[in-house]
Amino acid sequence: MGINLVPMLDTLVTLIAFMLFSATFLSVVSMDSPVPVNSAASFRNRADQRPLQLTVSVGSDETTLWSPFDRIRRVAVPHLQEGGPDVLAVHAELVKVKQQFPKERQLVIVPNANTPYDTVVALMDAARLFDPMDPPIYVKDETGVDQAEPQLFPEVVFGNLLGDS
Amino acid sequence: MPHFRSIRTRRGRKKLVGGPLELQLTSMMDILVIILVFMLKSQAATTSAFMGADGAELPYSRTQDVPPDSHHVVVTREYMAFQDQKVLYFVPQPGQPAPGEPPAEAKPPARSDEPVEPLKLEFHKEDLDEGGRRILPLYDALVQARDKSELLRSKSSARDEAGEPLPFDGILAIQSDKRIPYDVLRKVMYTAAVAGYRTYRLLAIRYEE
Repeated sequence: MGINLVPMLDTLVTLIAFMLFSATFLSVVSMDSPVPVNSAASFRNRADQRPLQLTVSVGSDETTLWSPFDRIRRVAVPHLQEGGPDVLAVHAELVKVKQQFPKERQLVIVPNANTPYDTVVALMDAARLFDPMDPPIYVKDETGVDQAEPQLFPEVVFGNLLGDS
Repeated sequence: MPHFRSIRTRRGRKKLVGGPLELQLTSMMDILVIILVFMLKSQAATTSAFMGADGAELPYSRTQDVPPDSHHVVVTREYMAFQDQKVLYFVPQPGQPAPGEPPAEAKPPARSDEPVEPLKLEFHKEDLDEGGRRILPLYDALVQARDKSELLRSKSSARDEAGEPLPFDGILAIQSDKRIPYDVLRKVMYTAAVAGYRTYRLLAIRYEE
């Protein structure tokens, strides 16, 4: 006399149907950005140290890469003909800056008021992640061994929360 | 006249000789168990606390970071919600459908590489203060949620090295439609900052290359 498998089969079919019903087929991902904090004392310190403070400003016709302390040459990337920033060109310019400053991890992004969320996310991707075709950038660790940087500028901060500047 | 029986009839009769037909369920059980294990495994690997919100078409991103659970705000073309509770509605624009109604003309979805036109959204005057920077209903909801979270942490047995309650993590996930202009997002971020939140977590859909 064999085991009666029919109730077990019913259970399994019900479980699979329930899991298919509750499954999410969209995988949501996230990008963290800290709140920018500034004070008069930290501003004085930063002015003395002249950090890179790489800034990407989205204008009406072009996207500008610049440093408030003039650590890099100001680069203007014209928008695409269809409108919106040329994200690939911006990424290429950011890779050049990273080659100059391989230990730099922070970037300030300044979208204009009409920049859609889609473009903000695309710019953050371009600023944070390497493309497979990008040249590897190495940084020496504590032991003096060259380590490939896993990300371009992983710490993206929004620079104009108080209004357009 | 000779009587010819079909082969099918003869086969059917032969089977019935041995008693009632029995299904072989063991192989089917094997298949179902494998499917169940596969689904359990894939569900455990991709579990996210965030679901797609109605009316919010998220942009795509190449990042791989799966967001852990946190307080979250949803911004659509019609409303803003915090923790699945709608806190405000935008001013309906001319030609725009009323809240809850489908668009009059269904437009084909834009390709991911096409530039997205930002929406024109307007707040009700009573919903803003501090020169139009702070969103009042959202601020109230954020402060309430932060207070509740801090109260729960103070009651919890989990403590830091100094024996103090664990600090409020202050992370706000922002789940926004891809056409929402930065001007609206900036107000959300400013409001979160003054309500004591210290990290913004921008959500998107994983771009499969």
